[in-house]
Amino acid sequence: MIINNVKGSKKMSSQILKTIVELLKNLFQKPMTVKFPHESIPIPGGYRGEHGFDIDKCRSCGLCANICPNKAIKMVKAPEEYGEKYPRLYPQIDLGKCCFCGLCQDVCPTKAIKLTKNVFLSTFDSKEVIKNPVPKK
Amino acid sequence: MNPNYNTTERELEYSLPFGPAHPGPGNFAVKLRLDGEKVVSAKADPGYLHRGFEKLMEYRTPIQNAVLSDRICVFEPLNWNLVHAQAVDELMDWNVPERAKYIRVVMVELSRIQSHIIWYGSMSKAIGFDTGFKLAFGYRDYILDLFENITGGRVYPAGYICPGGVRKDLGKNMPEKIRKTLNKINDMLSKFEKFDNLSILVRTKGVGILPLKKAIQLGATGPVLRASGLKTDIRKDDPYEIYSKLDFDIPTEKLGDSYSRLLILRREVRESIKIINQALNNMPKGNVIIPSLNSGTHINLPKGEVYVRNECSRGEGAMYMVGDGTEKPYRCKIRGPSLLHQIPVLEYLLKGSQIADVPAIYWSLNPCPADMDR
Repeated sequence: MIINNVKGSKKMSSQILKTIVELLKNLFQKPMTVKFPHESIPIPGGYRGEHGFDIDKCRSCGLCANICPNKAIKMVKAPEEYGEKYPRLYPQIDLGKCCFCGLCQDVCPTKAIKLTKNVFLSTFDSKEVIKNPVPKK
Repeated sequence: MNPNYNTTERELEYSLPFGPAHPGPGNFAVKLRLDGEKVVSAKADPGYLHRGFEKLMEYRTPIQNAVLSDRICVFEPLNWNLVHAQAVDELMDWNVPERAKYIRVVMVELSRIQSHIIWYGSMSKAIGFDTGFKLAFGYRDYILDLFENITGGRVYPAGYICPGGVRKDLGKNMPEKIRKTLNKINDMLSKFEKFDNLSILVRTKGVGILPLKKAIQLGATGPVLRASGLKTDIRKDDPYEIYSKLDFDIPTEKLGDSYSRLLILRREVRESIKIINQALNNMPKGNVIIPSLNSGTHINLPKGEVYVRNECSRGEGAMYMVGDGTEKPYRCKIRGPSLLHQIPVLEYLLKGSQIADVPAIYWSLNPCPADMDR
């Protein structure tokens, strides 16, 4: 169609010239991507990543379990070794069901749940995705 | 006449499934009936991405539904956030703070730009122009960086535009950052125009012509209808949020082929940039959500029904919501723009086309199987 006539071929050659100029410009620019496992782009504050849970601040009100759209939060007893110090029910978070909306963080009256910047959550062990309510080490 | 003529003709025809396991259509299939290289008939085969949002929404409260409404269309979650939030706002008869309205418009237009960039990228990929694809998806990431800063997630904002306002205020230097990104998008557009004649024109000009009369008859909306020549835009015809205060044009083309749809795409991105700049310049200070409201507030939807329609990047997106006095909606009906584009319009355009033009026609309609199946 376009290539068939003389005017078209002139247009075509000017297009090729433009492309070469564009190529030379881009030759000395940094790439747009990073090589992921070795380096990653910086993650800004306020990112909705893995939950950080402070058991000492928790009042066991259960609002987070109520509002969770995916029912990823269940109120359970603390593991046995902490049972004496923490006798009430605390949120157990299933990261496999979580959609990281951050509603639990918004609704928490004492800011016991706070989403952190950690986004590297892939794992081979399915049990690792369930976060039990344990004190921070 | 040879009595066997019809049978021999039938034997020459063969069927070819386009999708669903194809990088082009993605979770959507078209069953093509071919005679040599000519498409004799096309039958759309939807339903691979049905997740039942309308039913899921009946079991959740409005703030939880705001998070769910992201997923209606993967490419433009913020636009669907706004449709849902407006439906609840109107049902509750809430006055959303002025600043929230401005932020909503800025975010929705940014979302429209990145959705149009995906459109350009996938269109380029479909016609074998890989440079356009890489360029488009590279530049889209600059907008995703903004979303990451503002909403806390790159693709899914998790109900950032929620009933009653928005969930978070813009950050301190955000307006400046948005302006810088828009400059980059302007660069990108001029690059797109530079590459225009080389590969795209040959593959898209005169392909998949949708006449205006047929477009209206088949129910096309948004950019597809505008490419056929009708000057219509819900942002102008039935203004919502702050669109009545803003100055912008509605781009239209006459021919209605794949190329004019591409032109519409580029001109709409320019209009969106204009809208965002105006909204950022005039943004007032104040609350970003109704002060008495937070994520945990118990809301009872009043008895009544509401129908809200918005201009999404693909066309008219709408929601019909019925409240019955409880905290959960009684009924939610979602009207996605892609359903009519992908079934009647696509079947009409594919009939009689060449097989090599099928991807160019398919992607020129800016389809989204997610919002079609819902």
